[in-house]
Amino acid sequence: MSTASSSAATAPSETPPPAASRRRLPLGGWGLLPAAGGVILVAFPFASDDLFWQNMLILSMLFAIGAVGLNIISGWGGYISLGQSAFVGVGAYTVALGALKIGGNPFVWVPVAGVVAGLLALLMGLIAMRTRGHSFVILTIGFLFLLQLIAINWDELTNGTQGLSLPIPMWDIAYQYWPFYYAMLGVLCLSLVTAWRIRRTKFGTGLIAMREDEDKASTVGVNTPVYKMLGFVASGVFLGMAGGVYAYYLAFIDPRGMFDIVISVQIILCMLLGGRGTLWGPVLGAFLVEPLNELANQQMGGGNSRLLIFGGLMALVVLFLPKGILPTLKERLTARRQRGQAGLVGARLDGPLVIGERTAPAETTVAPGEALLEVKGLMKHFGGVKAVDGASFVVPQGSITALIGPNGSGKTTAFNLIDGTMTPSGGEVWFDGRRIDDLPPYRRAHLGLARTFQITRLFREMTVVENVVAPLRSFSWGQLNTSAMRGDEAARAEELLTFVGMERFRDQKAAELSYGQQKLVELAQVLMLDPKLILLDEPAGGINPTLVARMGEMIRTLNRQGTTFLIVEHNMPFVLGLCDPVLVLARGACICEGTPGEVQKDERVLDAYLGDDFVLERSAEVAR
Amino acid sequence: MTLLTLEGVIAGYGGGDVLQGVDLDLQPGAIACIVGPNGAGKSTVLRAVSGLLRPREGRIRLEGADITGRHPAEILGLGVAQVPQSNGLFPNISVRENVLMGGYIRRRDKALLRRRYGEIAEMFAVVRERADEKAGNLSGGQRRMVEVARSLMLDPKLVLLDEPSLGLDPKALKQVFGTIKTLIDAGKTVLLVEQNVRFGLRLATDGIVMESGRVLLTGKADDVLNNPEMAALYFGGSVQEQRRGTVPTPSPKQSPATAGG
Repeated sequence: MSTASSSAATAPSETPPPAASRRRLPLGGWGLLPAAGGVILVAFPFASDDLFWQNMLILSMLFAIGAVGLNIISGWGGYISLGQSAFVGVGAYTVALGALKIGGNPFVWVPVAGVVAGLLALLMGLIAMRTRGHSFVILTIGFLFLLQLIAINWDELTNGTQGLSLPIPMWDIAYQYWPFYYAMLGVLCLSLVTAWRIRRTKFGTGLIAMREDEDKASTVGVNTPVYKMLGFVASGVFLGMAGGVYAYYLAFIDPRGMFDIVISVQIILCMLLGGRGTLWGPVLGAFLVEPLNELANQQMGGGNSRLLIFGGLMALVVLFLPKGILPTLKERLTARRQRGQAGLVGARLDGPLVIGERTAPAETTVAPGEALLEVKGLMKHFGGVKAVDGASFVVPQGSITALIGPNGSGKTTAFNLIDGTMTPSGGEVWFDGRRIDDLPPYRRAHLGLARTFQITRLFREMTVVENVVAPLRSFSWGQLNTSAMRGDEAARAEELLTFVGMERFRDQKAAELSYGQQKLVELAQVLMLDPKLILLDEPAGGINPTLVARMGEMIRTLNRQGTTFLIVEHNMPFVLGLCDPVLVLARGACICEGTPGEVQKDERVLDAYLGDDFVLERSAEVAR
Repeated sequence: MTLLTLEGVIAGYGGGDVLQGVDLDLQPGAIACIVGPNGAGKSTVLRAVSGLLRPREGRIRLEGADITGRHPAEILGLGVAQVPQSNGLFPNISVRENVLMGGYIRRRDKALLRRRYGEIAEMFAVVRERADEKAGNLSGGQRRMVEVARSLMLDPKLVLLDEPSLGLDPKALKQVFGTIKTLIDAGKTVLLVEQNVRFGLRLATDGIVMESGRVLLTGKADDVLNNPEMAALYFGGSVQEQRRGTVPTPSPKQSPATAGG
């Protein structure tokens, strides 16, 4: 995102810039460029009466609107749609049919076109959003062709392939294309303001989290189905309005011209060239691609030559500018600015462990010592492989419970079943007095169930602090429009980052952290949910030995505040010193449960997990 | 003659420099283990050597020849193989195909690959016994062993190992310990990064302590491990006691390379 510039790599001694300075309008500095572009656009018709240029700018704005919208669902949400021209077509037909069958100036129908496009997006979203990746792309193409087919065959309404002619504009010829031009500019402004606002709300960060890792986003409480759907709607509404203006401008529409997949392709190209995931990139892309398109039409015989240009350009962008113009420029500038500066590097942590009061009510329906989490006969089969095979165990409220077992015994799969990332083949999961195995992951997160991952899963393109504030404790429609990082959230995030010792890295991209540092940030991230139960997958793996002891202290501190833990870990001294009870999993089932002392004497455990020479060495560890 | 030399290497990922002038010498046949706090730049050193990260300043030499800024495939061809931190196997192809991928840059030389594969299958029981299974079906310890096996396809001089102990249960840890011993017996030079300090330094001949993007201390592994100051700062707890703890010593009845399951 071009506007959310972070001053990541300051020298360690420098204090981070105040949060407010990173949330200002995208004006000032580089922000002056789009402002200048806007002034030129507004003034252009006054300066020139060349219809060729007016036409080119109107079309550029149409594609800019399409690309800005597509960026919401693709650049931020991570879902590529090849069906965007469906919104152009639906908007165009809404305006045409409204003006012809009901009456009134076609411009009056433009907002209606937006509403209709939005409703269509909702309908498409309901179905298409059950899929991901390639199948989503193919479904969007399918929708496009389906709509085209309807427009072709519903003769009474659409006049089929004959097309529809719109009323001739009634204004003085001296005004040229001005009304179309300014209507399109107005819609472009609306779409940009909307996109800018989305990027600054929970809605926007939720979309980006989804792009980075959809399953993970769900486990930290993001209601992904609703976010996806609304992202799709936001991508369609303004393009529908633009399609309406476009129809009036053309004065004639037909199914093949309106529901044209080449329009979709051009919209994607605009977004990719300018830079996906940025506010201004798609606009820049549109104002580069459309003039090229016109050039192809004028100079090279149009038609097929422009397909050749689009195809070639698309290939070039993907090969040499995979991030698009703006992100690449930004990267170069940042690299140059930071050249020679010392980056943040990890050092030892020895400050005291401080954490504030819990922010969520710690009420549970179960008394201390009773089952906060209960798993009954849990099963997960992958084909013939029984990863979890009838596991039953209980995590008592207020405990630090360990789940140990050999690699491949089903520990991580059990976590995936408990938090909802996977659907069990059988069995039940009860949490805090209710059955949860039919709830989506985000609902379980809202109930107070959180988990970390063995191979950490942070939102890699987000900064550390953005990662920490990404979790959501509930879902409400109002939430979508609240600021991405409220003051109290920023303060809590700061506190949690200090607790895990990562506060200096708050503005660093998560992808730039080392493995162990990512572990710490992921812990801070789930603490933002202030959960009742945290599932920790190998918290001591890949972190420095001194930090392992500190990690143990962190867990104890949190436990004293009332958080229950279920921990998968291979570091035996760590487990035996911290956890009680200890559950042992082997071949997908719980083979043993007891205190650390009992478990390490159990023959089955020694055989399946610890190895027979563990007994001899045990005394040294216990003494620790 | 020194196998690997780093002179004042400065490198980073775009957000400033992580390595802030690293100097290092590695003799042939040495097993050097880098330890240090999280984010100190340990993995970054490996990435700089294997060419995945281009140093901004400084020189990296392999047997005296400058390899700074060379393409990773070229460095691989010169005899440096890296085993990455996690998830390095292709889960949907077989163990055999995974191991053969290690020889990708010599893929035309079928006879050589066949011979090397034979040698590796000889060395690693898991490769021999589960050759046709999908790599995704292996357990964590077995995956690590296949990754190490794959790195040997080009008969490298230097093997870079990034946290071989990560995510392994105590039994698997022993197997991987044995696997690395196999490397040493095969005459490889190894540079490894390990957070499990006891595990790493017990394997190694040389210890390297890093902090804040610099090398703080180098020495014989035993000396580093027994350095009381280092122990207090980086190794946690009482080292003496921990060394007698779960340090995986391959038991004599179980030959390391043949350990399966």
